[in-house]
Amino acid sequence: MTVAELKHDEKGCAMETAHISSARESRVVIDLVVNGERVIEEIEPNMLLLHFLRDKLKLFGAKESCGEGECGACTVLMNGYAVTSCLVLAIEANGAEILTVEGLSKGNELSILQQEFVFQDALQCGFCTPGMLMSARGLLDKNPDPTDEEIREAMAGNLCRCTGYLQIFDAVKRAAEREREEREE
Amino acid sequence: MLSQFDYVKPLVLDEALAALAKEDDSYVLAGGTDLLIMLRHNLINARHIIDIKGIPELNELCFIENEGLTIGANVVVNALVDSELVKNKYKALHDAASCLASFQLRNRATLVGNICNASPGADLPPALLIYDAVVKIASVDGVREVPLVEFFTGVKKTVLSDEELVISVFLPDPGENDSSCYMRQTRLKGHDLSTVGVACRLDGEGKVSVAIGAVATTPLRLTALEAEINQRGISEETILWASNAINDHIKPISDVRASEAYRRHMASVLLKRCLVTLTGKEV
Ligand SMILES: Cc1cc2nc3c(=O)[nH]c(=O)nc-3n(C[C@@H](O)[C@@H](O)[C@H](O)COP(=O)(O)OP(=O)(O)OC[C@H]3O[C@@H](n4cnc5c(N)ncnc54)[C@H](O)[C@@H]3O)c2cc1C
Ligand code: FES
Ligand code: FES
Repeated sequence: MTVAELKHDEKGCAMETAHISSARESRVVIDLVVNGERVIEEIEPNMLLLHFLRDKLKLFGAKESCGEGECGACTVLMNGYAVTSCLVLAIEANGAEILTVEGLSKGNELSILQQEFVFQDALQCGFCTPGMLMSARGLLDKNPDPTDEEIREAMAGNLCRCTGYLQIFDAVKRAAEREREEREE
Repeated sequence: MLSQFDYVKPLVLDEALAALAKEDDSYVLAGGTDLLIMLRHNLINARHIIDIKGIPELNELCFIENEGLTIGANVVVNALVDSELVKNKYKALHDAASCLASFQLRNRATLVGNICNASPGADLPPALLIYDAVVKIASVDGVREVPLVEFFTGVKKTVLSDEELVISVFLPDPGENDSSCYMRQTRLKGHDLSTVGVACRLDGEGKVSVAIGAVATTPLRLTALEAEINQRGISEETILWASNAINDHIKPISDVRASEAYRRHMASVLLKRCLVTLTGKEV
């Protein structure tokens, strides 16, 4: 009797099923979706996803700070899961769906989550903000009604040297409430 | 910028095993949370990267009653945190998974990668050791099984040869009335390995098992200590005795994370806390 199966579903980070291979020093073509748009680009296999987004696609939202998974400034969603893009190879994102902070707003209209960061004063210098927003987005997409502890846990991998975190917590909590209200309407 | 390598993502296991056997300087890539850091610091000379995440048979996370739990090489740590079964049957593993790194890292990091990396301070090995975990290993020559207690051979060293790949880790069904917990001391939650991590189990027959990380070159299962605890029988006195005696069974060092003396002290404190939690005794 099987009573437990892999929870991370087909689109989960653990299952990325497109075959791809490359020779050393040779370039390889990756095919993925970034912020809803299909992107086909030639890269080198040793390129990081973070550098692919910033240098190739000129999406400067994800930031490089520690480069080692410690600070969360480079967080993006990969197939719906928050990941630190400094620890992912661009080639690993072949076939994946990537969402960066640039994909949150509709044109100039900020999303509810972004609005709450503004309303709650959840940023000062703003360097950590794209990563914070993406960790929060990853949480709320999977869990629209998180407990306080779940919010803290989901955001624990994002460091901020300015705000003291309380306003960030409030922004996520309030955004969750507003998103739920909007859905009920 | 990382040094150059080629990359292959096989969709079947045999292809991955053939690739590993073919070239020297080949490295398996799972979540990459250790491997990419080693590449970044040029600690390894990886010429060939074999990404195993396209191989569906390594995705297995499956429990069979009276047999046990199989955790495939692609199962990420957050899948263990999300699993009610792991929480109910293997509480120490759930505790350890929940405190590993940050949420983003747990979405990528695999349990199998955590043991293959063989860091003495890794959080998952102690929780696996108290459940008599067995590691299933494959190469072009076939499959072998190695108990996790024999898997670690030193700091960042395991019994794996260059041509071998871990398919899964198996934990026997602990049965009814089994309880366990994992407690760790760390400098900073979400950003550091443990300074000391202790896993304890009280099985259905009242027997205690203890394993500990970050106090020797490998994670340790403390069988001699367990035997004496079980011989004395669990009581307030035994708990106090064991929390001192644990120091005869560990060889911690002083490093950036803590001094030897602090590690010894915390090993004692954490063992006491674990045993108090599991037995309900007051000490
Ligand atoms: C910021 C940060 C914080 C961290 N905090 C913690 C913490 O609190 N506690 C903790 O325990 N760990 C911590 N870690 C380490 C933890 O993320 C890793 O140990 C992780 O579990 C490794 O899994 P992976 O899938 O990312 O492995 P990878 O990086 O892909 O691989 C790790 C090693 O194992 C080999 N390997 C992987 N899979 C296999 C396989 N199936 N067969 C053979 N070899 C294989 C690889 O070749 C590589 O040498 C932290 C890491 C970072 C970057
Ligand atoms: S830059 Fe990626 S986590 Fe810090
Ligand atoms: S607002 Fe400056 S780092 Fe967070």
